[in-house]
Amino acid sequence: MRIKLTSIMVDDQSKALRFYTEVLGFVPKQKIPVGQYWWLSVVSPEAPDGTELSLEPNANPAGRAFQEAMFTQGIPVAAFEVTDLAKEVERLQAAGVVFTQMPTQMGPVSIAVCSDTCGNLIQLYQPPAR
Amino acid sequence: MRVTTQLTEDAFADLCRARARLRSSRPVAIREAAAAARLSPFQFIRRFKALFGETPHQLRIAARLDRARRLLALTDRAVTDVCLDVGFSSLGSFSALFARRVGRSPSAYRAEVRATTSPSERPAALYPGCLNLMGAAFATLEKQPRDAPMDTA
Repeated sequence: MRIKLTSIMVDDQSKALRFYTEVLGFVPKQKIPVGQYWWLSVVSPEAPDGTELSLEPNANPAGRAFQEAMFTQGIPVAAFEVTDLAKEVERLQAAGVVFTQMPTQMGPVSIAVCSDTCGNLIQLYQPPAR
Repeated sequence: MRVTTQLTEDAFADLCRARARLRSSRPVAIREAAAAARLSPFQFIRRFKALFGETPHQLRIAARLDRARRLLALTDRAVTDVCLDVGFSSLGSFSALFARRVGRSPSAYRAEVRATTSPSERPAALYPGCLNLMGAAFATLEKQPRDAPMDTA
């Protein structure tokens, strides 16, 4: 058993594809039309054969309620690892990304939280240098 | 002027509250939502879009069209009544917006849902279960192999 796929709910798949590729810098992996939605996933350019992140439509009201509650409570629903958090935050802020938490040292890890413009807060973290 | 890319807890909470009020079935006016968030309408719209990826107006329209889709699929209310129920005053602008967003007119959408699903399947058909899309996508590929490169434009 392997963890090869994970997912995040997004309020609009076209908007999400733009944000996750053009702003965050991931690359598209799958984009297969299914009815009015897509089976849509992205991967990191640093690991094109690594874990896929599926951008799922959150049309279901139950999913929306969950997503909205997590967001409103300030709770991130995904976390992406970065090598240089300060540099990433600067780059993303220049692209207009909104942060609800600026880089904060938590023990050996530094953490920041931003909005993905698709209904989620995303945690970016820099692990201790190995 | 650059949009603020660092939100205080209070500013964040204000914008979240504004979103909930704009999404409700009795949405507030945008000027009112801005005042409640202690911002000028101009600043409110900019910050709202930066956080949620759409303007307050776009979000309010999307919420109305979602409710319309549900009413059309799951009830027998006439299209005109659905239009008024969800907060549009003009059938023409409702139909045009619906067609732009959903890809067909309200009545064509209702007819399609009825023709392709049984009443018990309709709620599920309205909200495809997330990861269920994977199975459906690969089943589709099996039937018609994909030869074109992925369109990411």
